[in-house]
Amino acid sequence: MKKRIIFASALTGLILVFGLGGNALASGESLGKCSVIEYNEKIEAAELTPQSLSDEASIEVLAEIFDSCIEAPSPIIPEINEVIWGGGAFVVLLALMLWKGFPAVQKIMNERSEKIATDLDEADKAKSEAQAVKTQYEAELADAKSAAAAVIEEARQQAEVLRSDLQERAESEIAEMKEQAAADIDAARERAMGDLQSEVSEIVVGAAERVVEANLDAQAQARLIENYINQVGSN
Amino acid sequence: MKILALEFPPVSHLFEWPDFAFEGTPLAMNKTVLIYLFAFALTLGLFLLAGSKKGLVPRGISHVAEGGINFVEDSIVAQTMGPDGKKYVPFLTTMFFFIFFSNIFEVIPFIQFPANARMAVPIAMALMVWVIYNFLGVKNQGFFGYIKNSLFPPGVPKALYIIVTPIEFFSVFIIRPLSLAIRLWANMVAGHLLLVTFAVLSATLWDSTYVGAVAPAAMLILMTGFEILVSFLQAFIFTILTAVYMGGAIHPEH
Repeated sequence: MKKRIIFASALTGLILVFGLGGNALASGESLGKCSVIEYNEKIEAAELTPQSLSDEASIEVLAEIFDSCIEAPSPIIPEINEVIWGGGAFVVLLALMLWKGFPAVQKIMNERSEKIATDLDEADKAKSEAQAVKTQYEAELADAKSAAAAVIEEARQQAEVLRSDLQERAESEIAEMKEQAAADIDAARERAMGDLQSEVSEIVVGAAERVVEANLDAQAQARLIENYINQVGSN
Repeated sequence: MKILALEFPPVSHLFEWPDFAFEGTPLAMNKTVLIYLFAFALTLGLFLLAGSKKGLVPRGISHVAEGGINFVEDSIVAQTMGPDGKKYVPFLTTMFFFIFFSNIFEVIPFIQFPANARMAVPIAMALMVWVIYNFLGVKNQGFFGYIKNSLFPPGVPKALYIIVTPIEFFSVFIIRPLSLAIRLWANMVAGHLLLVTFAVLSATLWDSTYVGAVAPAAMLILMTGFEILVSFLQAFIFTILTAVYMGGAIHPEH
């Protein structure tokens, strides 16, 4: 990386100093060189000699010679050799490009476009297939979910039925047991009352017999006492 | 010629190069001719090389060639000629690259001369374009139809044709090729003059003051960047105007 930076800097520097500076040397030939050439070419035709150079007329001729180096043909008039080479180069280039260069690149571009289009079509196809499979899976999943929900609901309902059955049964058993217990209690109570009543009546009769003795016979006394006890019991 | 007391080469000497081969004949070769030949070789070489490289993803030189074709097709032909112009893409692409490569030598170190700063190729190509769009106009609209559509634009009050028709005649048949050529030529001349001016200034001021060269050297760098843009832009403008003229000849209604 460091080497690259140094290389790039050196190259940039060289281009900046020599490359861009090269514009300063842009003239095709120097004014001095042109003047010497013109002078050599025209000095004989103008019949000038080194001795006559200081004459007024000679100075005019010399000035014309040197000025011709500064005067340029109109730059807007094309040079015939440049038109032939440049125009010819373009025409030949156009022919070669139409024949070989352009079709070669165009062919590659078309092949690439076609390949990309085919690939895209295939990708689209694969995508739609995947989409179909996905839809199918989703439908199956939804079915499975609803089936599962139905099973759960059924189980829940069964459980509910079972629960209410069991509850009813338990409640009825409890009620029966309660009734049974109450009946047992009543029976026991009645039995106890009966026992108690007969015990008490016997004790009372016995006691009364002894107290009253002959006034009342035993049957009348028992009836009197029983009536009395019933009266008391109902209170 | 003195500018800012510096010796500046005569302007013609910045553009006229001495012949080095076939001197004095119509096939005389000079630096300008060499640059045209470089531009020829570069354009052709670029497309032949790009055409020999296959691959799904364009790389390197293929990018330049394919990018150029797409650029001409999308930014020039599609905008000016519509779908009918597709068959002219090879012609316009060749034109674009040839002009661009001829121009870009303006900033290539040690060459530094835009070949289109000489009138030869601009005028030759402009005349070629003139022939082509007139041919297309006659072919698509018929001779009289083309003349009528060119000289008598619809929607103009009849009385105004006295003024409009001569203007249109000069504009379509005379000014167009000239303006096309002169625009390219003058831009490259101006660019080259600018670069030479700043380079001569930099060199002279460096010789005398060192520090004084900083500003013109900075300008030289800036203008070099700018001239790269101009080289591209002028190639683009020449090509798009060609497409506009051709499109107008094919579809007079636009």
